[in-house]
Amino acid sequence: MLGIIEALINGILMGSIYGLTAVGLTLIFGVMKVINFAHGSILMVGMFAAYWFVILTGWNPYFAIPVVVPLLFWFGYYMQSFIIKPIFEAEKDVREPITVIIVTTGIWYVLDNLALMIFGAEFRVAKTSVTGQVFEFYEMYFLLPKVIGAGITMVCGIYLYWFLKHSRMGKAIRATSLDREAASLMGIKQAKIYNVAFGLGSACCGMAACVLIPFYYVYPTVGVPFDIKAFIIVVLGGLGSIPGAILGGIIVGIIENVGAQFMAATWTELLLYGVFLFVLLVKPSGLFGQKHDY
Amino acid sequence: MKQLLNQNPKILLISALLLGALFILPLVVTSPALMQIFILIILYAYFTSTWNFVGGFAGVLPLGHSAFIGIGAYTSTVLFQTFGISPWLGMIVGGLLAAMMGVVIGLPTLKLRGAYFALATIAVGEGVRVLVENVKQVGPLMINGPSGISIKLTENSFSAFQFDSKLPYYYIILAMLLIVLLLTYFMMNSKIGYYLAAGGEEPEAAEALGIKVSRYRLIAMAISCFLAGLGGTFYAQLMLYIYPKSILGLDLSFEIAFIALIGGRGTILGPVLGALLLRPVSELTRIYFGSMLPGLHLVIFGLILIVVMRYYPKGLVEPVKILLNKLFINRLGKQGGPDGTDSAEKAD
Amino acid sequence: MSLLEITRVTKKFSGLIAVNEVSMNVESGQIVGVIGPNGAGKTTLFNCIAGAFPPTSGSIVFDGKEIAGKKPYEICRLGVTRTFQVVKPFASKTVLYNTMVGAFAHTKHLHEAERKALEVLEFLELGHKKDVVSKSLTLPERKKLELARALATEPKLLLLDEVMAGLRPTEVTDMLPIIRKINETGVTIVIVEHIMQAIMSLSEKIYVVNFGKKIAEGDPHDVVADVDVIKAYLGDEYVTTQH
Repeated sequence: MLGIIEALINGILMGSIYGLTAVGLTLIFGVMKVINFAHGSILMVGMFAAYWFVILTGWNPYFAIPVVVPLLFWFGYYMQSFIIKPIFEAEKDVREPITVIIVTTGIWYVLDNLALMIFGAEFRVAKTSVTGQVFEFYEMYFLLPKVIGAGITMVCGIYLYWFLKHSRMGKAIRATSLDREAASLMGIKQAKIYNVAFGLGSACCGMAACVLIPFYYVYPTVGVPFDIKAFIIVVLGGLGSIPGAILGGIIVGIIENVGAQFMAATWTELLLYGVFLFVLLVKPSGLFGQKHDY
Repeated sequence: MKQLLNQNPKILLISALLLGALFILPLVVTSPALMQIFILIILYAYFTSTWNFVGGFAGVLPLGHSAFIGIGAYTSTVLFQTFGISPWLGMIVGGLLAAMMGVVIGLPTLKLRGAYFALATIAVGEGVRVLVENVKQVGPLMINGPSGISIKLTENSFSAFQFDSKLPYYYIILAMLLIVLLLTYFMMNSKIGYYLAAGGEEPEAAEALGIKVSRYRLIAMAISCFLAGLGGTFYAQLMLYIYPKSILGLDLSFEIAFIALIGGRGTILGPVLGALLLRPVSELTRIYFGSMLPGLHLVIFGLILIVVMRYYPKGLVEPVKILLNKLFINRLGKQGGPDGTDSAEKAD
Repeated sequence: MSLLEITRVTKKFSGLIAVNEVSMNVESGQIVGVIGPNGAGKTTLFNCIAGAFPPTSGSIVFDGKEIAGKKPYEICRLGVTRTFQVVKPFASKTVLYNTMVGAFAHTKHLHEAERKALEVLEFLELGHKKDVVSKSLTLPERKKLELARALATEPKLLLLDEVMAGLRPTEVTDMLPIIRKINETGVTIVIVEHIMQAIMSLSEKIYVVNFGKKIAEGDPHDVVADVDVIKAYLGDEYVTTQH
C-alpha cells in the first residue's frame, strides 16, 4: 500500500514537470493554433545548456535557472521570428497551418540530429550536489531533486497562469488566442505576441530542463519522449488550456508511476497511448477544451 | 481514361518518355546495389503517394503512416512464417487490417481540428511500435519484439514473393507506383476528389454544400492505409528482415511527410519528385558520412524542408514544372504557346 | 402548407438568449427578408435554420420535414442551401471548380457537374471568370461565386446571409436584379440583411428581430412605419420627432 502511495506521489512530482513542458506547448497552440513539434527538441537544447553550465561551473544546478531560462526564451523568440513567422504569414488565412506544423517537425529533426553530431549518442548525467539525495517522508523515499523540481514547476505554472490573467502582455496574449483579427484591431501587434508566446513556451522548457538535470539523463533525443508525453497531455487537458495541461501532466505522471508498480516500464508507455486514444474516442476536446473547436 | 488522353499532348509525350525510361532502366543499370537504390526511391514515392490521399487531398496531416506500413509488413510476414500463406495473399490481408486500423483512428479524429489528427496519428504510430517491441508472440504467431523477424528463405519463387535478382522487385514496385498514381489521378477528377479538396480548404462551406466532410476524409484514410499496408509487404519481401525500428516509428512516418511536403502535397507527381530528390541525399550521406556523422542526412532533410517551405510552400513541383516547360516543352513545339502552361496546371 | 415553417424557435448560449421564441412562415416562391440591428439574433436564427447549430427548442419544418437539429449537409441535401456572410471560397481552386463542388450534389459524373456549373455561371454572368483562381476575385465576384456554388446544388430554398455586406452602393444595385432573377427561376429566398433599402425593394415580406425577439412582420411598407422598428433602428427619440 505504501508503495502505491509512494508511486502516486512520485507520479505527481514527475507529472508536474511534464505539465510545465505541456503548458509551453499549449500556450503556443492557443495563440497560433500551431502545434510546435520542436518543443521536445527545445527542451533538449535547454537540458544540454543546463548540463554544460553545471559541468563547466560546478555550481549548484539551480543556479542555471537565471541563465538557461532567459536563454531559452530568446531562443524560442527568435526561432519564431526568423524561421516560423515568414511561413506562418504566408499561411495566415488557411484554416490548418499544415506547412508551419511540418516546419516545426523539420526544426525538431535539425536540432536533434545536430545534437547527435556534436555531442554523440551517449547518455550523460550531471553529478550535482543534489543528485542522488533522498528525501524521507513517513517511511517513503523520494529523490530530493524531483521534489525540488516539482515545487519549482508548480510555482512557475501558477505564476504563468497569473501572468496571463493579470499582466498587460498576458491579457494581450489571451486576446490573441481568442480572436486574432479582433485583437489586432485593438492595436495588439500580432507578430510580437507570437514571438513572446513562443519565447514563453520555450522558457517553460528551459525551466523544466534545469530541474531535470540533477536527476535525468541528457542525450540528443531526450526531447522525444517528453514531446510525445506533452502531446498526450495537451489533448488530455484540452488543447489551449493551461490548467488542463498541468492537470493532464499530473495524470500522465500518475499513470506512468503507478502503472510501473504493476507492469514493465515499456507497457506503461503503451498504457499511456491507450488512455490517449480512449480520451480521443470519448471526449476528443479533452478535459478543458472548447467543444466547438473543429 | 478519356480524360487522361485529353491532356496536353506534350505532357503525354513527356510522361510516356519518362515511363519508357523507367521501364528500360534495368537494362542500363546492372549493379544490384544501384538497383536497390532505385527500388527504394520508387518505394518511397509509393509510400508518399499513399500518404497523399489523406495528407495531400483531405487537408489534414497524418504523421504516423509507418503504423500502417508496419501492419502490412508484419501481417504478411507472420502469416507466411506461421502458416506458409503466400505473401501476396498476406499483402491483401495486411492492407485490409491497416485500412481497418486507419478507420478506427480516423473515426473520432477526422471530425476535429487538424492538429488533433496529427497528434493522434503520431501517438498511434508510436503506440504500434511500442506494442510490437513488447510482444514476443501471440499464440502461435511469433513477433519477436525488438529483434524482429527474418523471413524464411525460399528459392526464386513468385508465390513466396522472393526473387534472386532485383529485377522482379523493380518491376513490381514500379507497377504498384503506377497503379497508385493512376488511382490518385482518377480520384482527383471525381466527385470524391472534389469533395475532399473542398472539405480540406473550407470544411464549413463544404458542409453547407451537402458534403459530409468527415465521411469523405474517412474514405480517403481507408484507401490510403490499405495501400500503405500493401507497400509494407513489399518492403518486407525486399529486405527479408523486418524489425520495429526499421518500419515502425517516427523516422519513417516523418520521412514520408517530408518527401510529400518538399515534392508538393496534393499533386500527383509531388511524391515522386520528392522521393527522387530526397532518397539519394539520404543514401549518399549514409554511405559517405554514415559512421562519422550519423544524423547528417536528417539535418539535411530538415534544412531542405525548412528552406523549401519558406520559398515554395506548395512544394517543388510547380517550380520544376515551370523549369521543364522552359527547357523542353517550348522546344518540342512552339505552336502550343501559353496553352502549355495552362494544361500543365490542370494536370495536377 | 408553407415551404418553411418556423415555430417558436429559441436558442440559448450558456444563459444568454440569442433567439427567443421566434416564429416565421415562408411560402414557396417568396423572397422573405429578416432584418434587425447588429446583434439582434438574426444570424443566430439563420444558423439554426441552416444547421450550423441546433435550436434549444422549437421546430423548423421545411417541405413537411422537421429539420431542427439536423446537420448542415443533411439540410442541404433536403433542398436548403446557405451562403456565408464572410465568403468562404475554396481559395486555391478556380471559379468553375468551386461551382462544380456544389453541382456534385445531384450527380456523380464529372462532365455532368461541369455542365451544370457552367450553366449556373452563365446565369450569374460569371462564365467569363470560370478559369480564374477564386482567391484573386474581387469581393462582389466572390459574393457571386458564393451564390453560384449554392445555386449549383439546386436548392428549393436559398438562405442568403448578408450578401450585400461590404459592397459599395453601386455594387448593391448590381446585386439586386441577380437575386430577383434567381427568385424568378422558382427558388424561394430568405435573406438576412441589415441594409434596409436593399431588402425593402426585394422582399415581399419582412420579419424584424431585435434582442432575439420578433418585433414586427409584414409588408415592407407597413414594417417601416412600425413604431417598434423605428425605435430598434434609430432609438426612442426618433419616434416623437418624426414629423
